[in-house]
Amino acid sequence: MLEGFARFARNRMALFGATVLVCLLLLVLLTPVIYPDDPFKLAGPALQPPGGRFLLGTDTLGRDVAAEIAYGARTSLIIGVGATLAAIVFGAVAGGVAGYYRGRTETVLMRITEFFQTIPAFIFALLIVAILSPSVSSEIIAIAAVSWPSIARLVRGEFVSLGGREFVQACAGLGASDARVIFSHMLPNCASSIIAVGSLLIGTAILLEAGLAFLGLGDPNVMSWGLIISAGRAVLRSAWWICTFPGIAILLTVLGINLIGDGLNEALNPRLRER
Amino acid sequence: MVMIVQPEPSTLAHYAVTAGNIPPIATQIYEGLATYDWDQNPQPNLATSWEIAPDGKSITFKLREGVVFHNGKPFTSADVQFSFMEILKKYHPFAPLLLAELTGVDTPDEKTAVLLLANPAPYLMKALAGRDLPIMCKSVFEGTQILQNPSANKPIGTGPFKFGQWDRGQFVRLDRNDKYWKPGLPYLDHIIARFIPDAATRSAALETGEAHFAGYSAVNYADLARMKTNPILDTTMKGYEMTPALSVLELNAKHPPLDKKEVRQAIAYAIDRKVILRDVMYGCGKPATGPLSSLFKTVGFYTDDVRNYDVPDRLKIANKLLDGAGLPRGANGMRFGMHLEVNSFGEQWLRQAEYLKQALAIVGIDLTLRSEDTATWLRRVYTDYDYDINEPFLSQGVDPVYGLNKQYLTSQIRKGVTFVNDSFYANLEFDGILNEAMREQDHDKRAVLYKKAQQILAEDCPLVWLIDVQYVSVFNRKLHDHTTGPLGTQQAFERAWLET
Repeated sequence: MLEGFARFARNRMALFGATVLVCLLLLVLLTPVIYPDDPFKLAGPALQPPGGRFLLGTDTLGRDVAAEIAYGARTSLIIGVGATLAAIVFGAVAGGVAGYYRGRTETVLMRITEFFQTIPAFIFALLIVAILSPSVSSEIIAIAAVSWPSIARLVRGEFVSLGGREFVQACAGLGASDARVIFSHMLPNCASSIIAVGSLLIGTAILLEAGLAFLGLGDPNVMSWGLIISAGRAVLRSAWWICTFPGIAILLTVLGINLIGDGLNEALNPRLRER
Repeated sequence: MVMIVQPEPSTLAHYAVTAGNIPPIATQIYEGLATYDWDQNPQPNLATSWEIAPDGKSITFKLREGVVFHNGKPFTSADVQFSFMEILKKYHPFAPLLLAELTGVDTPDEKTAVLLLANPAPYLMKALAGRDLPIMCKSVFEGTQILQNPSANKPIGTGPFKFGQWDRGQFVRLDRNDKYWKPGLPYLDHIIARFIPDAATRSAALETGEAHFAGYSAVNYADLARMKTNPILDTTMKGYEMTPALSVLELNAKHPPLDKKEVRQAIAYAIDRKVILRDVMYGCGKPATGPLSSLFKTVGFYTDDVRNYDVPDRLKIANKLLDGAGLPRGANGMRFGMHLEVNSFGEQWLRQAEYLKQALAIVGIDLTLRSEDTATWLRRVYTDYDYDINEPFLSQGVDPVYGLNKQYLTSQIRKGVTFVNDSFYANLEFDGILNEAMREQDHDKRAVLYKKAQQILAEDCPLVWLIDVQYVSVFNRKLHDHTTGPLGTQQAFERAWLET
């Protein structure tokens, strides 16, 4: 693992991604200090251009775009990380069980996984949020529901290849329970791949969340980047700053997370180590 | 001439569906017995004259000679009878209100039609235009399923334009009716109604001169300021005098503390309508003062002599009312929490909801916004009554009968019916006044009754009236005489002409 991180640190793109993410985390942590007020608060006159009293200008209702972006970062991270964790837990269990027990269990679980994979992810997420009524938790559920199949397939593949190894057979031969074999021996061995794929999933989840909020399916009580863009779209030609800055925020965040994901993948994936 | 209609209508069955996007097309084809001048007095159209019986229980129409439908059939009293009794009374959504008193239509001869009424219905004289009560051709519909009739989407009427073609998702083409009964009219050879889903593209079509007219606020309010500076375009607020509408908050009186009048009034005081008007409606309208649109001023039914919620010390009053209602502020500064159902008919309603949340927080009411898809929203509010505050947009029709009766009468608490009395307002004295006003033939006496009704409502505050909405038309300066009466885009472009 340590060796992996050293390799990660030598990857300049990955370091750039990590820097972006650290800045984002700092922003999220400092938001309550910099902007103690509700981001929905009408802070000043509507449609003020950036650079004046308001660093990034104000939107159509006179809300501070900078404060909106800061609070939006928190929403994006909560939903991105929350949905990814949920997807990993569910996907790892489904894939792990399928890959460990094989046979009929595997057939059933993998067909279900494929069934989920055939539905276009974004449309399925829209449907789930519409049914559950928009809120942060329903967005997490929806994004997790469309993200878990890739984790499930990955873990199943890893388990199938690990299943025949001597150390696994030795454990089973010594009488270890199935749970012990799965959780103590097999899962740790595919942790690196899960981390690499999971970090990429966070980026996808943030994009999905922005898309949902853009279409008006975000939690209307929580500030989000998609919501700012959707509100600013009507005045795009007269007030460019409302859509532009949250757009840049989404771009940098997703790019940063993807670069980190790639870096982790290269650092932790044994097949790419020699590059 | 190219006009923009937004959104594309789902049907052109104007006699059975009332949606704002149908009349701009359908009224070029279908006409009514009368039309209206700028003072909203009925003027001859398909009927040349009329006489109301002294007891108000019948109206005799003399019909115009020499009018033919687009299929060549002459227009007679049988068409009037069939249109009213077999189509409009049975299928028109407003019929239970507008035509409730209509018992039959007598046709003593081909050019005379007598509307028989159980009780006087003075409001009927405001609804004779093609927009509200169109006249269809009997021979087209007779013996067929009215709603499945092929002419639903290929309308046949007497109007200045004939239906040409409907290319779904693109346009409807209307062609000049060469046999129109008004000599020399219409001036235009074709009208193309274009459907452009994207708001920015709609604006661009007008700015480049590709489209000549966009009525009924088809243009995004946010783009209006920019369009006003465009040398080839102009805007008008005329032509909507008979299209009153209010944006409101409905308060569910079954959900405490909204059962208390003081709490409802406090909400009305807490909102700064000028902010909504400026930042949400981009200035299109004026702050609503009460339950009737100020457009009813022309006919003398509107009054602003009611409880005024837009006073300088309104926040102080709101706080006092809430304190007095036994709702002190808690540790977080909030008195109580409520859900606000976000209107799902477009962006602007979410903006309004976001503002309302801020405004009510100031007086200690903690709003949680809930935005759901249209079907879920309507079911929650009008069927399940599982809502606290709702923010609909109410069209008020041509007479106070329409807007007031359906919204406030006790008998209009109708589970499952959308846009009726869902705030559980029940006031017998008020019901009596409205019912009396509905049948009163003397205009001045009606006006007195409606004034009283507005005062009672403003005091009881079952709803919070926000904005008196004003629609805007954007048009190319080369297009002339497009808005020739108070029905504006909802009457025919028979006199419109394009400079070349």
